Amino acid sequence: MKIIVLNCGSSSIKYQLFELPSQAVLAKGLVDKIGLKGSLIKHSRQDGVEVKLEGEILDHQQGIEYLLGVLISEKYGSIKSLNEIDAVGHRVVHAGEKFNGSVYITKEVIAALEECIDLAPLHNPPNLKGIYSITNLLPSVPQVGVFDTAFHQTMPDYIYLYGIPYSLYEKYKIRRYGFHGSSHRYVSKRAAEILGVDYSSLKIITCHLGNGASIAAIKNGQSLDTSMGMTPIEGLIMGTRTGDLDIGAFLQIINKEELDLSVANTLVNKHSGMLGVSGISSDMRDVEKAAEEGNKRAKVTLEMYYYRIRKYIGAYAAAMGGVDVIVFTGGVGENDPATRSFTTSNMEYMGIKFDEAKNKGLRGKEAILSTDDSKVKVMVIPTNEELVIAQDTYEIVESRKSQMTS
Amino acid sequence: MSDRLEDFSLGKSMQSKGTIQKVGIVGCGTMGQELSVLISQSGIEVAFIDISEERVADVMLRIEAMLDDRISRWGLTGSEKKLIMSRISGSTDYQTVADCDIVFETVNSKKKGTSLELRQQIFRKLEAVISPTAVIASNTATLMISEIASVLVHPERAMGLHFFSPVSKVKIVETVRSVYTSDETYATVSKLALLIGKKMINVNESSGNISTRMLVPLINEACEILMEGVATVADIDETMKETSGLQLGPFEMADKIGLDKLLKWMENLYIEFGEQKYKPSPVLKRMVRANLYGRRVGEGFYLYQGDKRLVKHGHINNLGRV
Repeated sequence: MKIIVLNCGSSSIKYQLFELPSQAVLAKGLVDKIGLKGSLIKHSRQDGVEVKLEGEILDHQQGIEYLLGVLISEKYGSIKSLNEIDAVGHRVVHAGEKFNGSVYITKEVIAALEECIDLAPLHNPPNLKGIYSITNLLPSVPQVGVFDTAFHQTMPDYIYLYGIPYSLYEKYKIRRYGFHGSSHRYVSKRAAEILGVDYSSLKIITCHLGNGASIAAIKNGQSLDTSMGMTPIEGLIMGTRTGDLDIGAFLQIINKEELDLSVANTLVNKHSGMLGVSGISSDMRDVEKAAEEGNKRAKVTLEMYYYRIRKYIGAYAAAMGGVDVIVFTGGVGENDPATRSFTTSNMEYMGIKFDEAKNKGLRGKEAILSTDDSKVKVMVIPTNEELVIAQDTYEIVESRKSQMTS
Repeated sequence: MSDRLEDFSLGKSMQSKGTIQKVGIVGCGTMGQELSVLISQSGIEVAFIDISEERVADVMLRIEAMLDDRISRWGLTGSEKKLIMSRISGSTDYQTVADCDIVFETVNSKKKGTSLELRQQIFRKLEAVISPTAVIASNTATLMISEIASVLVHPERAMGLHFFSPVSKVKIVETVRSVYTSDETYATVSKLALLIGKKMINVNESSGNISTRMLVPLINEACEILMEGVATVADIDETMKETSGLQLGPFEMADKIGLDKLLKWMENLYIEFGEQKYKPSPVLKRMVRANLYGRRVGEGFYLYQGDKRLVKHGHINNLGRV
């Protein structure tokens, strides 16, 4: 089965063409600067052939039309005709309380997602544009939505509710949802696979550390808690986001700096986190380099970053009544030995025996970083959200087929 | 041999013709600068025209300073600034707006009297270079678009779009169709309004639209109260802000607009309607004669030092000076 996976952002579309069940990536690419000056498609094929095409791309539908055009082209294509496309899987950021798993997209599903726009006004509209475009361009091809929030829908009410008047939850669905669901699900399952242990018997803490970062407590195969909340701002210190912040302090900032809502939003989303504290960069590598060169603020930034992760690991171990596996993933989690070391070393009291030798220099591949006799396993597992979307799409489309024939 | 993106089209999506790619701005004062930023921020290329190379360079610096200020107030990031600047260019040459889909005229004439002829001249110059389907819009609120556009070969392409400062915050734009304006012109303007996130308030052509016509008598009346010695500038402003929900009091507003500009609006309205309520207050005329134009020059009804607004303690007979 050939499946296109689409991740539509406000002015970009990331795409991959998968062959399932072999999991081969036949082609992938990026449509960038949609509706802006200098729009382009960067496309690469399995055999290494690459092309960059520049031109006018006015909207998502046009971008998707072009990427389909490239996929079936003689020169750069991987398939002969659009008829070979069996399904399209979409990444959708916010499904609110509507869906606790991936779904086959119908008119009703689209209507439900449209109702969630309020919850993710920046992310959901472009995701929906991707769905509308495929509906227009490939009307007979089945589509599946895979949601960032879905995996965390297993959180119990006492964890997802905020300490605010309950009527606000009822009126606006203000509660914690969590994000990076596909990633947390993928790496936790993969950890169980690698260890050869039953997924539903494990207590796993997954640390997705990228530019955005979140950490999840996964007990017996279900998300119990995660550090992001109603929006991706809560929790860990991120590249440019604050993470946990006293609301009183935030109100004080708004008052002192006379900020309006949109500016306040920019402050906590784009000017804060590692960038804001260090004043250097949102990129871990730049901050580490500055710290090595003796920059004190860079040093404290790193300490804050590590500490927040340690704190959540401790909290989630307590929440689950222990922990069996800690997984690192995401750009920083996969590639930064220092972060892994500072967040999990000296935790023997919890049963974590971290092996520096295994950690050192390890980048971007699956590995176990704890000693062989460590009660808790510390692992690195590169995430693959696109593959999760492709697999979910495959399973849902296959099961519908068998339902129809049976 | 390089491939063109168009060659990969499936021919299914409509090639949306008439989408706005580039906007021109003639006369890049405060309004022109704010508009340039807003339009560029929406992903559209901006070419502005001003009177001299020095002025063009100065405008670029001012736009940059405006964006730096927003960064320092957390409203923008450095990379967003770069992106915005990359889409704005300035020149003294009308040819640089030849490929624009819409051109705004936002001139500020320093000369006394009406700017009707100046605006007509600009309209004519623009029509000579732009494409037949391009729209010409004026930011005037008190002059008649029909009258400005009457000098065009194709007056149906002209419309009034009255923006308000600060453009980034005010959600509306007053839109005025002249007696000639075509539906196509209106459609292009509507598209732009959508792209830049402004709600159109459609106004039938009438001097002052809604905003200026309401504002002028308010400021005039404030001047009357001041002249009669009923209350001070600061007290009048504070009372109006506290009781009417205005963000600025009438004198703060007058200083911000520029008293010279305000005087022109009043004169235009007075000529159009002949009503006493639009007749410029003598206080305002005297201030303008003394070149106390307001915030722009550092003194009007208040004194301005940097970001600070200071109260003047003198009598209004001395224009507030002690």
